[in-house]
Amino acid sequence: MKKKIETWLIFIFLTVFTMGTIYPILNIIGISLRKDNAFQSKSLAFISANSGWDSYLKLLTETQFLIWLKNSIVISIAVTILGVALASTSAYALSRYKFKGRQLGMTSLLTTQMFPATMLLLPFFIILSKLGLINSYLGLVIIYSSTALPFCIWQMKGFYDTIPHALEESAYMDGCNHFQAFYKIVLPLSTPALVITALFSFMASWSEYVVAAIILQDPELYTLPLGLKSFQSSLATEWGLYAAGAVVISIPVVILFVSLARFLVSGLTMGSVKG
Amino acid sequence: MTLQRIIFFLLALFFMSCSDGDSGKSKINIWHQMHYENRKVLREICDEYEQQNSNLQINLTYRETEELRSNFQSSAMGGSGPELIYGPSDQVGPFATMRIIQPLDTLFEESFFAGFVENSIIEYQGSKWMVGDVVGNHLMLIYNKKLIQAPPENTDELIRIGKNLTKDLDGDGKVDQYGLVWNFTEPFFYAPWLGGFGGWLINDQNQPTLNTAANEKGFAFIKSLRDEHGIIPRECDYEIANAMFLGGDAAMIINGDWSWGNYMGKVDFGIARIPMVSETGLWPTPIVSAKGYSINANLKGERLDEVKKLLRYLTSPEVQLIFTEKINSQPSSLEALTHPQIQENEILQASARVVEVGRPMAVVPEMRAIWDALRTQYQAVLGGNIEPNVAAKLSQKNALKQIRLMNEIQPPGRSAAIIKILMGVFALMGVAYLFKNASGIITSLNENKTAYYFIAPAFLAVFAIIIFPFGYNIFISFSNFSLKTFRNWELIGIHHYLNVFQDPQFYLVLSKTLIWTFVNIFFHVSLGIMLAVLINRTLPAKPILRTALIIPWAVPQYISALTWRGMFNQEYGSINLILEKFLHLGPVQWLSSPTEAFIACILTNVWLGFPFMMVVALGGLQSIPNDLYEAAEVDGASRWQQFWYITLPMLKPVMVPAVILGMIWTFNNINVVWLVSNGGEPSDQTHILVSYVYKSAFNLYRYGYAAALSMVIFSILLVMGVLSIRQSKSTESVY
Repeated sequence: MKKKIETWLIFIFLTVFTMGTIYPILNIIGISLRKDNAFQSKSLAFISANSGWDSYLKLLTETQFLIWLKNSIVISIAVTILGVALASTSAYALSRYKFKGRQLGMTSLLTTQMFPATMLLLPFFIILSKLGLINSYLGLVIIYSSTALPFCIWQMKGFYDTIPHALEESAYMDGCNHFQAFYKIVLPLSTPALVITALFSFMASWSEYVVAAIILQDPELYTLPLGLKSFQSSLATEWGLYAAGAVVISIPVVILFVSLARFLVSGLTMGSVKG
Repeated sequence: MTLQRIIFFLLALFFMSCSDGDSGKSKINIWHQMHYENRKVLREICDEYEQQNSNLQINLTYRETEELRSNFQSSAMGGSGPELIYGPSDQVGPFATMRIIQPLDTLFEESFFAGFVENSIIEYQGSKWMVGDVVGNHLMLIYNKKLIQAPPENTDELIRIGKNLTKDLDGDGKVDQYGLVWNFTEPFFYAPWLGGFGGWLINDQNQPTLNTAANEKGFAFIKSLRDEHGIIPRECDYEIANAMFLGGDAAMIINGDWSWGNYMGKVDFGIARIPMVSETGLWPTPIVSAKGYSINANLKGERLDEVKKLLRYLTSPEVQLIFTEKINSQPSSLEALTHPQIQENEILQASARVVEVGRPMAVVPEMRAIWDALRTQYQAVLGGNIEPNVAAKLSQKNALKQIRLMNEIQPPGRSAAIIKILMGVFALMGVAYLFKNASGIITSLNENKTAYYFIAPAFLAVFAIIIFPFGYNIFISFSNFSLKTFRNWELIGIHHYLNVFQDPQFYLVLSKTLIWTFVNIFFHVSLGIMLAVLINRTLPAKPILRTALIIPWAVPQYISALTWRGMFNQEYGSINLILEKFLHLGPVQWLSSPTEAFIACILTNVWLGFPFMMVVALGGLQSIPNDLYEAAEVDGASRWQQFWYITLPMLKPVMVPAVILGMIWTFNNINVVWLVSNGGEPSDQTHILVSYVYKSAFNLYRYGYAAALSMVIFSILLVMGVLSIRQSKSTESVY
């Protein structure tokens, strides 16, 4: 009985908190449905007599939205694959091997995050144009992966540390080599961390704007955030389109999280870890 | 197998998208900052031109004004960039000074320039740099004909009419309709009044003229409109003003010619001059500026001829008239101006009467420093922090100081040689170290081959990307790289570092940054863990709650931050509405007082950041074996004890990296502060170090100083990062 009341109290608390959390989002949805292209309204209501799907229709028919969507999907998936592949392997080495430069490696990864990104733009541009990577996805994918990697590696290493070495040792006994032990035993156990890594790499590229803006100059190559920002000009923003675009951009991420939530919760079989 | 197929397919798609669709056509790129509707017209016009010249392809790239400037600077400096750049006339000053656009005097004949109205050919330091195709961008009074028949002629009338129209319609003690609204905290929107009181921003010698009686009176006048007469809202930025006018909640608005398109068909409006200042008998003087095309300095030879031809076409009377027809723009071509289409256009004729009293925009780079100094002091007056006469003095003083800093060409100091030597010594030491320890490194390589194979790809990717920019910044931080030395900077030594540490403002901003970081991280982590623990149990509607809580992370930061800014508005923002309705609290002036504005930024960032920590914690919770809790329960441990002695320690390995990284990201998070406080408003009081860097680099072109400041930020974070790793290590051994 006591437990039931507790559950309901927590439920009510979380519901109220969640409503507060999604309020600004409802606001954005409200703007995207307005017909008068204004950012503000006087009332607390999101939907008025003045609401409609016009902005969404305009977004799909009048703009190059579908091209941006395709570009964003291609880039984000490439970044995710690269991010997961590189992070899972290098974090494994950092977690399991004691080698020279290990500590230095961990710390220096962290230091790459410490420099104010705005100051990196000019040199980024110079080096990428020397390498001929302006207007190419390759440059963008490399930059995105490497911005997401430090976190992903740290995250994966933290997770590997919680998996007992004994598992691999018994695998070696069964005749596995190092890579097989990693690939067949440790990796499957690390699904939740891999999911976070994947999600993070995806997020790092999906809504990134500043770097994309200096690398991609041809509108055909634009990603979603670039396309979205093109609705914004100083003192004359297409708020309806901007908000509608933001809602559409967010949907895949939400879907991704909902479908991956399964792994976060039950991806790990406790039994084998205890073994 | 299927997974491999999908990956293969995606990679194929990826590389296909990479290949450049080279059609053998010659390409001309134009970068511009045209408003949405104008872009469509430009595209149509360029399509037309492509049809006439079938071997040519015109690429149009839109960038927002500020970004257009900074991106063009980077790319022109890198030796590339678009052939043509279209933008407001005030970008000519900096671009010409940096020598990234070319003078047009010799490229076109005199008779070509003679075909335009005078202020549309932009001259700077004796040369012509830009051909304007529209002249305008000026502010005027726009009134709602439903609410007023005739616009006020002078400020006395404005106040009288304004008072009649400022009404509490539903009797709840709150004003529902205002006489006048506009983006009054922005200096550009204040400038006409300065003229109306007989002063101006800058004189012919490019010196600021802010310490005048006119400026004092102007400051006091705007303040009295708000405080004494109450005909304008207490807080009112551009978007709020626009929305109020569109919604019929404001009878008059001061806005520019660009806004007509948005009002057409929604409000029955008329336009007039901004009312004459009764005290002086002078009309307020809106700034009139041209927009037009400049040619990239890197362009030469045959390509230049193609671009010249295109520029002629784009500024021709025919093309200008198409723009006028579609979007009511005021042409710059003398021939176009005589066309009946212009002569009979009612709005354009009314607008021309406004332009008569306008003043041209100064194109010199010094204007930036003047705007900046004016903004800070003007907002301080409106915030009630200083008196108008003090503000006028201070704005003049600061403008002069910033101009001096901007134009300064620091000669190499004695430390320059030392720096060069030190750099050499460090390089040698590095080589020596490698050489000396070569055998050790090689043995380690051999012993841990697998480990190095595992880490090599990731580390190569990360460091390949970061090393060059980092080294480049170190160089710049010791150099005199700035507006005047854009193409020929040299090492000067530790000058900028000394400046950073001697600036009292630095310590103030640093302490704000530290508060910002720790408050944010505290709430991110505590909310994140709390929510993760709560949601990790059996609950009704659990998936829905979990998904909803993650949403702040999913929405792009730059739009949610803007939404929060809207929500913080004093009168119409939902936060104050909720405070009043449910908690019966008075309205808070979130965005116009420094402390509240800073709290607003923190609230926004807490909202943005907790879902991330929650997801990390949620992932970590899965790895805690359930029987630990079972055992604890058998031993009689309370819930709180279980949380404290099992959950927290077990979460630690996953949370520590997230917290350290979160700390670094928050320290360097420019988006939220910049967007919520609109670039440090009020009066540059809400800056954290990164936004301060951004401002020095891109607003005042002080790249050297900005790079030095970035290096200082980097060192602070390095120390903080290393300390927190040590800290977590020393506690780790306990468990």
